[in-house]
Parts: sequence; structure tokens; C-alpha cells
Amino acid sequence: MEFAARYQDGLVATVRDAHCVIDLAAEPVALVVLDSTTRDIIDRWPAEDVYLLHTRALELRMGNRRKPSGARVAISGLADMQAALSVLPALRSDQRSDLWRQLRTIVLATAALASVIVAYVFGVPLIADRLVGFVPPSWEARIGETAGRQMEATLTGGANFQACDPDQTSTANRAIARFVTATFDGLDSPFTPTVSVVRSDVPNAFSLPGGRTYFLSAMLEATHTQDEFEGVLAHELGHVYYRHGMHTLIATSATGLLVGFVLGDMTGLSVAAAFGSALIDNRFSRVDEAQADAFAARAATKLGFDIRGLGNLLDRVAGDNAFSRAFALFSNHPLTDERRRALEAMAPAPGSQSNTPFFTDAEWAAIHSMCPPVAMPTPTAGPVTTDAPSSTEPPSMAPSAEPSVAPLSAPSAPLP
Amino acid sequence: MSTAQAQGRVGRVEFTGSRHELMLVILRGYTLMIPTLGLYRFWLATWKRRFYWQNTIIDGDPLEYTGNANQLLLGFLFSLAFFLPIYIALFYVSMQDPHWTLFGYLGAGAALWFLAGYAIYRARDFRLSRTLWRGIRFDQKGNGWVYALRRFVWSVPMVLTIGLIYPWMASSLWHYRWRNCWYGDRRLDIAGNWRVFALPYYVTYLINAVAIVATVTWIENARSFIQIGAIGIPAPLQLLGCLGCALVFALSLAWYRATTATRMLSSVSLGEAKLTLNVPPTSLFAQYIAYAALVLLFIAAIALVLLIALAALYATAAQNGRVAETSILDLLQHGTINVVLVILLYLVVLGTLGLLAELVLGLGWWRLLARGATIENPDSLLTVKATVEDRTLVGQGLADALNVGAY
Repeated sequence: MEFAARYQDGLVATVRDAHCVIDLAAEPVALVVLDSTTRDIIDRWPAEDVYLLHTRALELRMGNRRKPSGARVAISGLADMQAALSVLPALRSDQRSDLWRQLRTIVLATAALASVIVAYVFGVPLIADRLVGFVPPSWEARIGETAGRQMEATLTGGANFQACDPDQTSTANRAIARFVTATFDGLDSPFTPTVSVVRSDVPNAFSLPGGRTYFLSAMLEATHTQDEFEGVLAHELGHVYYRHGMHTLIATSATGLLVGFVLGDMTGLSVAAAFGSALIDNRFSRVDEAQADAFAARAATKLGFDIRGLGNLLDRVAGDNAFSRAFALFSNHPLTDERRRALEAMAPAPGSQSNTPFFTDAEWAAIHSMCPPVAMPTPTAGPVTTDAPSSTEPPSMAPSAEPSVAPLSAPSAPLP
Repeated sequence: MSTAQAQGRVGRVEFTGSRHELMLVILRGYTLMIPTLGLYRFWLATWKRRFYWQNTIIDGDPLEYTGNANQLLLGFLFSLAFFLPIYIALFYVSMQDPHWTLFGYLGAGAALWFLAGYAIYRARDFRLSRTLWRGIRFDQKGNGWVYALRRFVWSVPMVLTIGLIYPWMASSLWHYRWRNCWYGDRRLDIAGNWRVFALPYYVTYLINAVAIVATVTWIENARSFIQIGAIGIPAPLQLLGCLGCALVFALSLAWYRATTATRMLSSVSLGEAKLTLNVPPTSLFAQYIAYAALVLLFIAAIALVLLIALAALYATAAQNGRVAETSILDLLQHGTINVVLVILLYLVVLGTLGLLAELVLGLGWWRLLARGATIENPDSLLTVKATVEDRTLVGQGLADALNVGAY
């Protein structure tokens, strides 16, 4: 059997027209390359050294494992190709085993990547918990200060926070300090939280790494009862106790790396990268929020206030709408409905708890009127509707460089 | 064959690949990227290169791409090592004083810009060292870090002169790339310099600057806006002006690319063999227009599908005697379904745009280069000898990580 071929030796850039003959008598079978005019033997390739290369349709391109890497015999035309394949059966099985090798690589790599993702999404909150223990509290406090300055600049448009009642010895401030001490009493925490009530038209409250906690005046206006006030405050203190700010910082800092790996764009500039990071990071955040709610519920049992107040206040300032329900997975907070149900489940049965209020009537009155309407457009503590700023904005789809101002959040420092 | 005959012969370059064939390769690749969480992109890149290479026939013999996907995957893993320090530095900086934070981000941006230069060079090295023609390997010598530094240093006067120094920068970088490029034991040379770039570049620069400034001034002075909520958008006549701007940009870009490629690549030589290239600007411009038209058609199709879905929703709602708005809300109640729908829509849009870009612009440009090229004195290449293979290269990793690897 003989067919026309093109031959190159891989040493010099010359291609020769040649004829191939299969030497079936040789052991093993060999491909003999002859010069097409002189019929001299140019080269002799034992079948076991020959391998197939990817090439155009209607061409068979072969290399030789023991020859220079550019050595080739190329056969074109369907009839000649089939003839060559039929006498060199090893080529076909070679091709199949190569396909299997590729398949194995890709399946293994995919399985590895999938397990990394699963381990990441479920394991990082746990690891971050442990890692937070290694961060010195003084370092965390310094981070909190930086985050606080950034937060302040964001919320006040570059100006500084204005405390409603700068006098630390006033009835209201002393009452709040008493609440903080009572909440943290018996808990082993390196932090002593400080609470400031400051002017802002955003109905929100937040705590920073290191324990500094802010209650914004618009939130106080929306507050009707002391149960509500205590619930929100205890929730924020929960973030401080669990060191959630630090936790978030550690947990989310690697997300960009992981998402970049999956999408092949380590710079994280693409929409898809932001999208993916938001999905994962906001899940971490929702876990933290639920934990802070549980902390508040335990404080409520200890100090004798009604945890359902937190749910009521949430409804007022951050009630769900169709949009937030539809895109709950993109939100950094659980749905208010879900939080409310969880809080109600944690509340003790009616009557099982002492109902002596924590604050005296005089103290609560002082707290509630801490921010006299000076610059605020809505002077009385009328119910803030869900049209209040920030509560009806679509949940953030991408992690922004600014600290989050979603209701009742533990802001994290901005991340890459 | 006598020497005189050999001197006069001209080698032709052909391209035999069809758009249909490439489309099948890409569609298969996209489909397999879903179950492999995106990892198949390395195999897709390999198959695409095989398509382009083996269908490019130079003087009767095809190019051969010998790289494989495992090398790309491994290279990508290696490149992650570059990113860890940057990530840790950014993490640290983000917790510092806000001023330092800004400084840190700028620093990281500069570092990425520098690394991109290295990545581009290494990717070129990877492709060339895995390209065979007549059994002889190409190679990119020179140093990726030197190239990155050269590119980075040129970027400073680029910014300071608002881009006016570009012809010199381009010439410097082209020289480094091409004069370090080898075919077997023979080095390529390029004669073209900044003069090649100067005229097309400044003309393009000026035309676009004038067009943009004129359109903006016109919109400012016309003061006719359509209010959409609180945002005013220019009136239709002015929007037509913006479209004109885009047309001017496409036309001038096509002319710039075609002219500079023609003149620069026509100055490339390999020993006694010389490359001649002719890329007609009109063909390139036609590709741009075809791409824009296809994208618009695709957007229209998506809009139509959404409209039909909405209409169907209203129709079923009316049939059941319900208000359509509430049934839409009901449909949106299911968070997970929505996320899946959003992701699916995103993938379809992204995939279609990528497919169109590759089929019209990527293939189009390659075909123009191949079909416009001829080689003078190709027989002088018959004596090129192979050199020792450069086996040190592990993938083009950084290029994949930085998203700069093309073809």
C-alpha cells in the first residue's frame, strides 16, 4: 500500500513531496517515507512512535515521538487517510486515550474548583470566626476609627457628626451607658462600647469595629417605645460583641480572589465579578445579621424588654417591598419578614417575663427627646414611612467602596 | 529551479477557515463552560487557535499550533501567585487613613498596568513558541520585564502630553516585539518607525477631537432636552449628532488600523524574504458596521422576546380575571428563580456579544491580514534551521488572569 504525502524532517524548513509505504513485514510495523522521484528511502517511522496531530479536515498529520518535534508526515485525501488509519490502528486508540486524558483533567479541575467554592461559602464564616480571635483588640479599634471617619464623611457629606447631646453626664447619656454596661455584664469581651446619638436624616443605627456605636436621630424619631430602642441598640451591641466588622473584613477579602478565579479576570473589573462577589459576601452578611438578632433576643430576656419591638421598628423603617423580596439573594440583610418571624420565635411566652421597664419613665423621656428638632425638616416623632431614605433603595447589587448604610448594619471597612 | 526564478517568485498566503466552522467551535466551548464552572475557557482558547493557525496557509504549508489547554490552565494557576501580594497589600491599605487608601489604590492600578505589559509579552511568547511552519518553530526572545518597563516608562509622557507622543511609543514597542522575534535560527526585522504612525494617528486624533467638541458644543447650545424623570437627554436631532460622532470614530479607527498595519507589517523582513501586506480600510470599516448592525439586531430581538413575554403575562392575567401587575409580582416572589433568570440572561447577552465579536471582528481581521499578505523571495526561507526548543515557558498565565490574551 502506498500513498502520496508531504514530509518535513523538523530540522530544516523544507517540505518534500514523498510517498509513504507501510512495511508490514517489519516488527513492529513501520511507515517508510520514500522520495517521490528517486524512490530512495528518506525516513523510517516505527508505528509505535507515530502520533496524530490536530489539523484541518481531510488531512492526516503525524508526528514522531523520537524525532525532532517538528518532524511531520501529512496525508491528504479521504481514501489515503482511511488507508493509513487502517494499517496504523494505534493512532486511533492514541487519539481516544488523549481524549480521555483531557476529559479526566477537566473533570478533576472542575470538581476541585466546585469543592473550593462550597468550602469557601460555608467554611469562611467559621474560619473568620477563629481568625478574628487573633486580631488584637487595639488593632480592631484603630480600623474602627478609620471606618468611622469614612462613614461620617459619607453620611454627612464631608462634615462631621453632630452629637444630639454632647454632655456625657446628662440623664439620657447616663441611661444609655447603663444599658450598655448591663448588656455586656458577664460577657467576656475586650471592648467597652460607646453609644452616640447623632443627627442624620437617615433612619439607621450602626456599630464599628472596636465598639463605637451610632444611633442616628432619624431612627430615634421613628422609635415609638423603649422596647424598640433597646432592641435596636442590643442588635448593634451584638455586632460589637461578635466582632462582626472584623469578621466581614476577613471573610470578604478573599471573595474577589475566588470569583476572579472562576471568571478568569483577577482584576475584578467586570460586571460578572462584582455580581458574583455580591452574591457570596451578602450571604456572609445575612448570617451575621441573624446572629446579632439572636444576641438582642438574649439581652431582651436578661434585661426584661420585648424583643418584638425590634421587628416593629424594622417594619417601619425597612419594610420589604416586591423588589427586595424578588432580589433577596442580592441583599446584605435578611428580609424584614424573615427577621420578624425569627424574632417572634425567640420572644418568650407572654407573661413569663418580668415587665419592669429597663429605663425609668424620666430616662426614656430624656432619651426620646435627645434630638430636639433644630435642623430637621420633620420635627415630631411621627412614624417614618417606608419612603424614608435608604430603606426603599434597591438593595445594593455590588459591594461598594463606601461603608454600607443599609438599616442596622455593622459597617465594614471598604475592601478592594 | 534557477536562482533568477527563485528571486522572482512571490509566496501567497491563504485562509481556508469558514465562519460556520468557527461558530461551532465557540458554541461548543460556551456550552461546556457552564458545567465546568468556566474552566473550559482554556480548551476553547486552544481550539480557537488551532482553527486560526491550521487554516492559515503560507506559501502552500499551513501554520501549526502545538500548545495545549493543560499548559494554559497550569499557567493561570501560577499567575495567581502574582495576585496574592497585591490583594494582601490592598487589604492592608484599605484599613488605613482614607488618603492612604486612595494612594494605595493608585499604586495597585499602576502595578496592574505594569504587569499587563509583562503579560502581553509573555502571551505573545507563548503563542509564537507554539507556532510551527514547515516543522520549524517561531520564538519570542527578549525579556518580558524589559518590555513591561519600556511600556510603563512610555506611559508617563503619554499621560503628560495627552496622547500626543503615541507614535514614538508605538514605534518603540513594535521594534522591541518584532526585532526579538525569531523563526528557527533567523531573526525577524522591522524597518517602519514613528513616521508610519504619525500621520494616521494625528489625523485620527484631530478628526475625533473636532467631532466630539463640536457635538458637545452643539448640544450645550441647542438647549433642547427631553426630560425622562429628572434626567434630561438630548433631543433626537442632537442624538443623531452623537451617532455621527460614533460613525466618524469607527471610520477613522478603521482607516488608522488598516493603514498602520499595512505600512508597519510591510516593513517586516526575515533574512531575504520580505512581507508585503495590503489591508483595505473599507473592508475593515464594513466589518465594524456589520458588527454594530448585528448588535442592534440582537438588542431588538431581546426586547421583542421580553415584550412577548409581558404580553403573554397580561393575556393570561386577563383570562383569569386578575390584574396583571399582581401576577407579575407573584412571579417575582421566588428569589432563587429570579437569580437564575438574571444569570441566564446575563450569560446569553454576554455569550452572544462575544460570539458576534469573534465571528465578525476577530475572524474578519485575521482574514484581512492573511489574504492581504504576500511574501517576496519565499525560497530563501528553505534553509532556515530549527533551534533548541524553549521549554521553560509554563503557559501564558498572567495574560489569562489579566484578561489580555487574544486569539
